[in-house]
Amino acid sequence: MGQQTDILLKGIAASPGIAIGKVLIIGSETLEVEKKTLKTSDIDAEIEKFDSALAQSISDLEKMFDKTRASYGENAAQIFNVHKYILQDPMVVDKAKKKIRAEKVNADWAFSEIMNNYISKLKGMQDERFHTRTTDIQDLKRRVTRYIQGGSQQHLTKLTQPSIVFATELTPSDTIRLEKANVLGFAMDFGARTSHATILARSIGVPAVVGLNRAGQLIKEGDNMILDGDQGLCIINPSTKSLSRYKKRYDEYISLERQLHSIKNLPARTKDGKDIELASNMEFPEEVDHICELHGDGIGLFRTEYLYLAGSTNPTEEQQYQDYKHILEKLAGKPLIIRTFDLGGDKPPASLSLSREDNPFLGVRGVRLYRNSGEDLFRTQIRAILRASALGDIRIMFPMIACVSELRECKAALYKIQKELDKEGVPYNKSIPVGIMIEVPSAAAIADLMAQECDFLSIGTNDLIQYTIAVDRGNKNLAYLYQSYNPAVLRFVQQIIYQGHQQGTWVGMCGEMASDPLMTMVLIGMGLDEFSVSPVSHLLIKEIIRHVEYHECESMAKKALDFSTAADVEKYLTDIYQKKFKRLLHL
Amino acid sequence: MVSKTFTIQNKYGIHARPARLIVETAVQFKSEIHLAKNNEEIDAKSIMGILMLEASKGSELLIKCDGEDEKEALQHMTEVFEKISELTEWEEV
Repeated sequence: MGQQTDILLKGIAASPGIAIGKVLIIGSETLEVEKKTLKTSDIDAEIEKFDSALAQSISDLEKMFDKTRASYGENAAQIFNVHKYILQDPMVVDKAKKKIRAEKVNADWAFSEIMNNYISKLKGMQDERFHTRTTDIQDLKRRVTRYIQGGSQQHLTKLTQPSIVFATELTPSDTIRLEKANVLGFAMDFGARTSHATILARSIGVPAVVGLNRAGQLIKEGDNMILDGDQGLCIINPSTKSLSRYKKRYDEYISLERQLHSIKNLPARTKDGKDIELASNMEFPEEVDHICELHGDGIGLFRTEYLYLAGSTNPTEEQQYQDYKHILEKLAGKPLIIRTFDLGGDKPPASLSLSREDNPFLGVRGVRLYRNSGEDLFRTQIRAILRASALGDIRIMFPMIACVSELRECKAALYKIQKELDKEGVPYNKSIPVGIMIEVPSAAAIADLMAQECDFLSIGTNDLIQYTIAVDRGNKNLAYLYQSYNPAVLRFVQQIIYQGHQQGTWVGMCGEMASDPLMTMVLIGMGLDEFSVSPVSHLLIKEIIRHVEYHECESMAKKALDFSTAADVEKYLTDIYQKKFKRLLHL
Repeated sequence: MVSKTFTIQNKYGIHARPARLIVETAVQFKSEIHLAKNNEEIDAKSIMGILMLEASKGSELLIKCDGEDEKEALQHMTEVFEKISELTEWEEV
């Protein structure tokens, strides 16, 4: 290979990570549409042909919806419903039929003309964000036209080896046919952060750079490429210099990854044999496959706010039930802790029309909302959770509990709904575990009283820190005061665990502190039963657990509690971490 | 006939996914439901019509409902538009 000069292209960083590999080009399928004039007597048959092509296409789209939903989740799948509605829209269907009749032309021609017209209208829009939608119209044009012409849907080039997939534009139906295990990353000329391919890239955790404009003119199949999804760069035929720079970055990343990968199937157990429960936090159902691959102890925090933020009409009981059911099936017996809606605060859902508050973080959020106008929302969610509890290990967790009476109220409401289900004869787990988040100082101070009335506690450190130190974590001027290692916070954590254990209740942690490698040993030493961490940190935390002994963690926890300032604690933790893990993790 | 003006607030405007929500809401009512922007007016039960309206951020839409269940329709349509304003949160993820 001769000396290469970088061809550096700047696009939009759509999904993070680095990929180095050969390019596979997914070409647009060529589509020949010829204009033919029909005899009047053939028109009815032509319309029939068109109708049956539409029916076949709609049935494809329904299958693709199910398939995408199963592997990428509801949100990614919705695009196929959009496609379906377009094929049921009079502005498409009736218009095409009218054209066939009036101009006596063949259906594929009439349909293509109408779709082309929409494509050029979209392309002419001032707001460039609308240009990405032409991909969807193209996709539909191809699908229906192919059926009219009596062909089957063409299959894409098989992805037989790991490659960076390049396309001018990748339609939703293109992407679903790609063998996802062989996709190193996506590069596209077209597209934006809202493109379908972008959404999929993020859901399977591969880098993507889109909006490259004219890369298609420069890229050949089999070219080497570096894809930098962090910075939105794409380097074609990279020079030796670039290649070695990126290889180094990639290797460091990969060697840690590989080292961590090798412990996937091993237990989260300390050197002296103490098992630690290591679960994952989950924000969207799409993440469940990735989480299962980590072989952890299930999901310790499933944030359900996505159901509201996704903007759909109020999530129905059935819709929620289906999502929970889907996740439970994937988890195959491992626990799923569902945190009931923690809405309000700075992001109240529009549908609840809450009044504006001067202090939203001290206002109507979490369980406080349930009595304030969110009664239906609570009831619907609890019904869905209870119904799903018949299918697997589901547990309920209430957010923002500040005093015991709130916990009692929630439990009473839960009980009432259970009675309802009994009456309806709907099966559910009658001894479903109920726990609470400890994230308000008033709850932390009486963890023992809380523990007496529920099955588990989970420490939410993000809010606990902000409420304990009285510092808004979004306030840049106060960033120095948002201290994870603040001695008051550490004391709270230690007390919550201790008092929970006194009452025979297990104590977990689902805040960011659980994902902080500097804190792992301290938390083990304090006796934390369960770590629920972000999926990215999962294996790193496990590797640390596997290299420590419980008794050394205990003495470290004691020592950490002795310091007077957050800075002293941090220095102490960093020193030990560097000494102990630097070589281990090639940091 | 009842109507109401709504200003599109989310960054991406009325894209494919929001358009789906609008159609799904509109088809539940017997009333005729139209959306008007400047001088253009489209049927809110048509997804293509909505996409062609180019309702980007900041554009003002007039929601018009006409028929036996027009009041209820307008209320639900307003709610769905309010919900769509929340979309940014998700699309930014």
